[in-house]
Amino acid sequence: MKRLFPTLVGIASVAILVAGCSTAPATSTAPHSGGTLVYATGDAEPTCLDPHVGGNYPQALVATQYLESLVSKDAKGAIIPWLATKWKESTDGLSWDFTLRNNVKFTDGTTFDANAVVANIAHLQDPTTGSSTGYLALAKVSKVTAVDAHTARITLSSPDSALLDSLSQPWLDMESPKALKRSQDVNCESPVGTGPFIVKRWDRQQSITLVRNDNYNSPPADAAHTGPAYLKSIDWRFLPDSASRYAALQAGTVDVIDNAQPDAIVSAEKTKSLKHVDAPRPGASDRIELNSSIAPFNDKRVREAFIRSASVNAGIKTLFFGTAKRSYSALSSVEALGYSEPALFGYDQKQAAALLDEAGWTQTNAEGYRVKDGKVLELNFPVSTNQSIPAEQSLFEQLQASAKQAGFKVDLHPLDLASWYGALGKNDYNLVSAPYTKVGPDVLRILFDSDGTVPAPSGYFANHSQVKDPALDELLVKASESSSPTERAALYKNAQKIVLAGYYILPLYDQQNHYLLGSKVNGFRALPSVSTPELYDTWLSH
Amino acid sequence: MVEPLIEAAMPAARTSGRWLPWLVARVGGIVFVLWAVATVTFFAIRLIPGDPAEAILGGPGSQASAEALAHARTEYGLDKPLVVQYLVYIARLARGDLGQSYSLHKSVIDVIVENIGGTLLLALLSLALGSLIATTLSAWSMHSGRLAAGVGSVLEIVAAAVPHFWLAISLILVFSTTLGWLPPVSVPGAVGYVLPVVTLGVPLAGFLGQVMRDSMLDAMASPFVLAARARGESESGLFWRHVLRHAAIPAIGIAGWAFGSLISGAVIVETIFARAGLGRTLLSAVQLRDVPLVVGVVLVVALGYIVMTTLTDLADRLVDPRHRRGHA
Repeated sequence: MKRLFPTLVGIASVAILVAGCSTAPATSTAPHSGGTLVYATGDAEPTCLDPHVGGNYPQALVATQYLESLVSKDAKGAIIPWLATKWKESTDGLSWDFTLRNNVKFTDGTTFDANAVVANIAHLQDPTTGSSTGYLALAKVSKVTAVDAHTARITLSSPDSALLDSLSQPWLDMESPKALKRSQDVNCESPVGTGPFIVKRWDRQQSITLVRNDNYNSPPADAAHTGPAYLKSIDWRFLPDSASRYAALQAGTVDVIDNAQPDAIVSAEKTKSLKHVDAPRPGASDRIELNSSIAPFNDKRVREAFIRSASVNAGIKTLFFGTAKRSYSALSSVEALGYSEPALFGYDQKQAAALLDEAGWTQTNAEGYRVKDGKVLELNFPVSTNQSIPAEQSLFEQLQASAKQAGFKVDLHPLDLASWYGALGKNDYNLVSAPYTKVGPDVLRILFDSDGTVPAPSGYFANHSQVKDPALDELLVKASESSSPTERAALYKNAQKIVLAGYYILPLYDQQNHYLLGSKVNGFRALPSVSTPELYDTWLSH
Repeated sequence: MVEPLIEAAMPAARTSGRWLPWLVARVGGIVFVLWAVATVTFFAIRLIPGDPAEAILGGPGSQASAEALAHARTEYGLDKPLVVQYLVYIARLARGDLGQSYSLHKSVIDVIVENIGGTLLLALLSLALGSLIATTLSAWSMHSGRLAAGVGSVLEIVAAAVPHFWLAISLILVFSTTLGWLPPVSVPGAVGYVLPVVTLGVPLAGFLGQVMRDSMLDAMASPFVLAARARGESESGLFWRHVLRHAAIPAIGIAGWAFGSLISGAVIVETIFARAGLGRTLLSAVQLRDVPLVVGVVLVVALGYIVMTTLTDLADRLVDPRHRRGHA
């Protein structure tokens, strides 16, 4: 008897296991309601859940679940209706009329109408809100008025071909005007929108609990269904460590993870039960920027020599295992107006050597570095450990080694974000890599217009290559004011040609944004605007 | 437990009749240490690059507008000279006000109260596990001959040398990914504590074990053990009543240090296992240049360190009879 009992338990548990396996997993394709999805994010925990305040990607990720924009984008990049059903630009391009949905309520019961649009844009433009992303995007907006209850008119100081792109971003989402009147601290804890979910609880460093909005009726035009979301609730957890995040997905502790690293993606693709969604972020490609304002990169030949000596493709292949595709463009591959020119970026040590000779870096010291007038060809490269994933940091080390063959001494300095911005503010860098997410090609104006070389009072500036080219500035201004799509496309193409041919940047790949899904997750997609997860159409199989 | 503690602590003071100066010196020392910690931390965090005004507005690189930054600087007094900011801050600290966190927009006290429980429990459980493993290992290796002593010593060195992050990831790979026995990240309930506590407890056991075994061997060879044996004390009685007590003294001595090491380990463990706690709070506060929160957490850790050292002093007197009779 003593021996028999454990044996029985053993047999029983095997039987249960077998039964569990033979019950086929729900194969029905009809979505069904209910359940809690556990989402584990590797991005930083937002300090405020209202993306008007500040305005960064971690806020956009979660805000997509409870806030909505006036317009959205479809998978092909076309602007589509969301809270606004249609819009009309005046002939002079200085005023836009947006017709709004007339049956939508915020989750606190407030009606969504033209006055709500007025209140939201006023909130974004109010300095006490502390908006940065939204504030910049609305730079040309001089006035917003309610023409009638369901028509909002936006008046501009100069035409803005990027207005619709800007309004599709989560940082300009619509919030309840009544809720916005509360103190900022309260609004940061529990922003109120029109979205498919509602912020119920926020346990700092742990999770945000989101529950279904049962009265939801305003999905974007490209959603797969109408009515309330399928999921009853979302447990939005903060899991900063990438290895434990992937382990949690494998163990079934969580259902979806973001910021999946190359090794996890490769492993997941080999695992039948896991799915991979590759959703590059819009705006700029990930690239290394060459500071053209100081020596040695104030000489175009030296810039080209560095780019020719950087063995990028081999590094990407070995470090990203095929999860990242090489880019030859200043823009993300999701940008329809992106322009590529691979021939400019071929790896060629001979050409690099010839260019350096031509530029006067003819001597070589004992360590193999090029020297000119007693100065070593040294490049200072501050690396943000918050923004560059480990694979990217390793890629920079490989580029350091391949550039050494040409005689460049690259000094990599891994820094935390605040110190990294400090280094940029002092202009003592030659190379730098910074992501920039924004919808539409207008990001080129932010990154390459000479205005972008002037630091803001915070010390921040976005034109890290420090391109100061009046011809380029003119093209970018013209493009941002053009109302003709063909003219706009041609202007942006010419602008990108100047940037690429000037060897101001070394494009690497799209800004990586990978989601991994557990076996129960169906109907997941990334919203095409800024590639944040859209869980409205998502459902869990049993 | 309380009774002997008081007995142990008080006689020395009572007999000498100089308990008041002793108390004043002790409290004065604590205040000085806390002031020094606050001052060094304040200037350290302010002198590394990074703008606290940006922390207020959503972190570095948030591209905050000039107006927003100016507004935040005035509101938080960041537009004044650094020395003035320091004096204002210290004056507030002296009144027991730790101020408001820049990044969380909450009072620092509230943030600490919310997070301290998880970290303390983690540290205590790890300390308990570490002591248990160290005692067991050294007792076993002592009783089982030279080979066992060698094996024990190697195990201790390996355990002490293992970095927390490596151990954490290895444990996750073995017990979550491969075996599926334990959750890879913190979940509510006791099961969520297992891997974090093992991660912190094992390296600690290595240190404690090395210290304990040395003094056990030392004790075994000493005359009082010989005397006890001569009195007819059994082997187990010998170990539990005499040798272990002797070996515990240096181990208790490093408990204060162990507490500090557990808190620094908590920064890593809380991040990997996604636990709420002071370690993770401190990490993000430093990254965001959230000065009041950094100083607040560091002060609490310093205070914990002082409390631990005081307790170990008292415990030392309790375990070591030499202190009680005023020989020390």
